[in-house]
Amino acid sequence: MATAEAHLGDTETPPDTRGPSAPLPMSVLGVGIASLAVVCVGSVVIQVLYALFGGGITQECLAGGLGRQVVTGTRITFAPVEGARGLCHIVSGFNSGAETTLIVLAVVLGIVAIVSGFSIYRRMPTKRQRNQALSGAFFGVHGITVAVVLVWFRSGELTTFARNFFNFQVLHGELGAFLTGMRNTIVLAFGGEIGGIVLGLVLAMLTLSKHKVVRAPARGYINFFRGTPLIWQLSVFYFGFALGLRLNFSAFQTALIVFSLNMGAYSAEVFRAGIQSIEHGQMEAARSLGMTYLQAMRYAIVPQAVRRVIPPLLNEFVILIKDTSLIVVLGLTVAQRDLFSVGQDGYSSSFNATFFVAVAVGYLAITLPLIRGVNSVEERLRSGLTGVVGL
Amino acid sequence: MNGTDELVRLEDIHKWFGGNHVLRGIDISIEGGKVLVIIGRSGSGKSTLLRTINLLEEPTQGRVFFEGREISDIRTNVNEVRTHIGIVFQSYNLFPHKTVLQNITIALEKVLKMSPSDAKERALEQLASVGLSNKATAHPGQLSGGQQQRVAIARALAMRPKLLLFDEVTSALDPELVKEVLDTMRKLADEGMTMVVVTHEMGFAREVGTRLLFMDEGRVVEDGDPKEIFSSPKDERTKEFLSHVL
Repeated sequence: MATAEAHLGDTETPPDTRGPSAPLPMSVLGVGIASLAVVCVGSVVIQVLYALFGGGITQECLAGGLGRQVVTGTRITFAPVEGARGLCHIVSGFNSGAETTLIVLAVVLGIVAIVSGFSIYRRMPTKRQRNQALSGAFFGVHGITVAVVLVWFRSGELTTFARNFFNFQVLHGELGAFLTGMRNTIVLAFGGEIGGIVLGLVLAMLTLSKHKVVRAPARGYINFFRGTPLIWQLSVFYFGFALGLRLNFSAFQTALIVFSLNMGAYSAEVFRAGIQSIEHGQMEAARSLGMTYLQAMRYAIVPQAVRRVIPPLLNEFVILIKDTSLIVVLGLTVAQRDLFSVGQDGYSSSFNATFFVAVAVGYLAITLPLIRGVNSVEERLRSGLTGVVGL
Repeated sequence: MNGTDELVRLEDIHKWFGGNHVLRGIDISIEGGKVLVIIGRSGSGKSTLLRTINLLEEPTQGRVFFEGREISDIRTNVNEVRTHIGIVFQSYNLFPHKTVLQNITIALEKVLKMSPSDAKERALEQLASVGLSNKATAHPGQLSGGQQQRVAIARALAMRPKLLLFDEVTSALDPELVKEVLDTMRKLADEGMTMVVVTHEMGFAREVGTRLLFMDEGRVVEDGDPKEIFSSPKDERTKEFLSHVL
């Protein structure tokens, strides 16, 4: 009778049955790791060394696109563009002989690891040895892949690429604008999410009504907002309604409303699926105790459904964070700009795509922690620690 | 309406699920203080009949009376009626996100509008009656099937129902857990609770039942004293069924 309880608090770890290791598979693993490490760590070290002791702009860099032609009489010289020194270091590092050596070394080590790993893994007597042999081979594949990408990368016009994407000098003094942009993106995303969740829960309840007259408008709403592009919704609500009807909404406010309306449609479907996934017996039990339909929903069904839909809802939220960038079509004041708009404006004025690199970093800074959160919540729900799933 | 101790009366109940005619004209009357046991092979309509009594299944045709009032009438406040008719399900249907105590108090507070302290007091009292006082703060997932089913019984009893329905409550239990649930039910019967029990436990039916219905293909085939029916069934179908299960 108490067994269920005893198992719940059980933290005994199972025995490790992977068995001992051996020198051969371990060295395969070592070679594989070395292959990947040489090409990744080595390249980074080269970049750092060039950045610190690179020694300035070379004529090759200037001629290759990091300089502007200056004609004085019959003589043609090159004047370095803004940020050229740093860019030249990046390019020189990639093109250096040391980098070539690293690439060759990585390919050789990779091939050794792949060939030896795949040929011996079947004969390994323990799980641990087999895993080490296989992992070594996989690391070799990774190492060669990175090396091949670098070779391909070096074969192109590195100076132009670096000037367009890695000229961090152009970002100088833009930190404040980027932080404002991130704040606005977060406000738009959270505002849209919160509005969307409230609206979605109501819509979900309506779509579950047994009266078609109640269901039909909710379904129509959901289908409309899921069926038209978000960019169309933003444009029509702002240019069509807010401006056209002379309603007193700013572009930012309109966008907040549209994101809520759009998110409401998507989260309604998530909630509906969550509510329908709760066993029918729960509703029967609640109704049998004399609860009304709404009481049963509120005290029995929705609390369970909400826990089940947390992962898909967070998923929708991550999508919304990125979709807030569509607000760029509305034309925002400087203080209202979101992250993408800031980058877009920077690009327009400088014609330098490094702004978009910074934008990506900004979005990742917001979304990566959230994705981590989603994963850990999913894991917690799966492991049944909340006492909800698994019943 | 007529008999003073008549609690439930079913008049010509028919139920269709789509084209499936599950109940084909049921007329029974249930008296207070009795234990009515319904047996029959699966698909005979016994669970549907039971669920018709608290209107979890709405009869396609026919009328249901509770304490002389027609509760199948569309104007009836079904929620109010259900507070007087408890039901225990085969799959317990406890609320997994609430503790054992909350499972019992939630309806007391939200439906019967009891104060939280009164509700808690009654819930603890009810848990004690099924021998689970020490599980009040546990979640249903931490309990064995038998314990969960006893909590479900306590939850139904806490509403102080006039009638308690049991829908194959031991069918989902491991054999060694069946007895604790049957013992709880036997105790209730001894205390005079009116019960309608759909079951496959023939020993319980014979021993605790004061009246037995045998159902087949949506009809009541045999209706009478359990011991008599078990020892000398009149209908051929009853004879055949009993020869298989006894």
